[in-house]
Amino acid sequence: MSEPIHIEHDVAADDYQLAGAASNNVKETLKMLGLSSSICRRAAIITYEAEMNLVIHGGGGRIAANIDQESVEIMAVDRGPGIPNVELAIQEGFTTAGDRAREMGFGAGMGLPNIKRNADIFEIDTEVGAGTTVRTVIYFQHGQ
Amino acid sequence: MAHSIKISYSACRGCVNCIKSCPTEAIRVINGSITIIKDLCVDCGECLRACARKALGLDEDDWELIHAHGLVEAVPDPVFFAQFGSFWYPDAARGALMERGIDLLTDEAEDAFDLSAYASARVIENRSSDQLPLISTYCPSVIRLIQLQFPELLSRLIPVENPLEIAAELWRARTKSYAPLTLFAPCPAKITLIRDPIGGEPSPIQHIVAIRKVVHTLMASGVKVEKFDKSVPSNWRSATWAIRGGETKHISRFASRELTVLAVSGLRNTMDLLQQIELGRFRGVDFVECRTCDLGCFGGVAAPESRFLAYLRNRHIETEWNLTPERAAELAVMYENTKLWKVRNSIQSKQRLPLSSDLLEAMSRMKQMKAIFAELPHIDCGACGRPSCKAMAEDIVREQGEITDCVFKLREGISSLANQILSLADVQPQTLRKPR
Repeated sequence: MSEPIHIEHDVAADDYQLAGAASNNVKETLKMLGLSSSICRRAAIITYEAEMNLVIHGGGGRIAANIDQESVEIMAVDRGPGIPNVELAIQEGFTTAGDRAREMGFGAGMGLPNIKRNADIFEIDTEVGAGTTVRTVIYFQHGQ
Repeated sequence: MAHSIKISYSACRGCVNCIKSCPTEAIRVINGSITIIKDLCVDCGECLRACARKALGLDEDDWELIHAHGLVEAVPDPVFFAQFGSFWYPDAARGALMERGIDLLTDEAEDAFDLSAYASARVIENRSSDQLPLISTYCPSVIRLIQLQFPELLSRLIPVENPLEIAAELWRARTKSYAPLTLFAPCPAKITLIRDPIGGEPSPIQHIVAIRKVVHTLMASGVKVEKFDKSVPSNWRSATWAIRGGETKHISRFASRELTVLAVSGLRNTMDLLQQIELGRFRGVDFVECRTCDLGCFGGVAAPESRFLAYLRNRHIETEWNLTPERAAELAVMYENTKLWKVRNSIQSKQRLPLSSDLLEAMSRMKQMKAIFAELPHIDCGACGRPSCKAMAEDIVREQGEITDCVFKLREGISSLANQILSLADVQPQTLRKPR
């Protein structure tokens, strides 16, 4: 199998203006590869929510996407505060977002649930004080 | 997809102003003059605004020719009535223009805009909340933009015909006339709406002329516009559609529950909003009105009057929003005839072709594209005839360009060739070498 196509974006903390750049890039790339619009949309949503998580909670971090023939893998890595209770964090409506994020219309507690809903594989690895890694995979065969 | 932008090759200098202005990157300079990739053009008219040399124009029908053939049956865009230095009440305009051989279909237009708002309100109310917000289909540029860049939102386009076309259908049904109809259009998008209807069925309108052409001819002929009394409520609800927010207001007033609506205008706002709707961020919103022109249709490139003045004029009209029971009953009857207002054919995606139909091949081209892009200067100068270095890299892998189209790469090539010549000049054939 040939090398996957790799996309990488650094996301800065509190940068609400530029957030969305990674999502756009992932969506455009998948489109150019001829993948269905539903795959493109799901990947765009996952990337966007992951970017917003880095902006609001993670103190910034890195988004990486790997595209091969069968799937797209999207990862978000931060060195932020970590998530003390993952069960709770993936419930719809649960949020620890600060006032600033909520004033901007974010932090409705839909980020992680949205990521989970749109992914075929959803993994979260987090340690309080050390950071969080979210890994998702969308398979091209499913849901096309 | 067709488009309604006409290029004057004698006026085009091959500069890059239009290329840079195009939101869908549909313009290239090839062999010294511009080319529009018609599958990518959404007829927003931004390139016409960007061209100082007037090399870009509207592909409209010949007004003199149409007008010379006797009475013109015309569907006026709501923008029309604010173009004459004052707001011209549609009934007054109709009376005055009849003498000049133009029959404005003002009554049918008013019925059509009311029906469109009424039907839209019903469609919104009957949708489940997870299928909302619905998006207006009034601005043809927005429909094209969604077909091209946001195919996931096609199901969100409200299936209600454009009221300008509904007006034409109503007129045909009432008069049983086969006389051709002419649309007074404020923008290239509405020209294309008629020439290349989105659902594929032929439009009930035959000719299209830019409003500025009609207004200029009328003004030159000394048409007299009566001053209006702004304190008298107007029954012309259709007039509000010329401004951003007019459609949402009309629909909201006809809805039986309180609707959450949003109206935006301008290209950047439209694209941002569509992108955010696609990301699922507008739960709880019922209806969204997007217009690609600033301030709404008054900002259209084919409307001659200052959009700011036209906007102020329309803002000052008191509009009567409450329906009389008779009017409500009339609308309910028209609504029952879904053939009048419902979009029949589903609107299809018109996305740009992928790099290849085969995923593996597309991936390999994507890698080539990234490698080519990495070599380019990334200053997006446009000198290669493309809007950006990224577009250039894409054109090359699509076999629509050469790396030497980039002046910087060409210069690098010349410089390395010059160095090779220089080093070759130092080399002597062995027969000429003398032993020391």
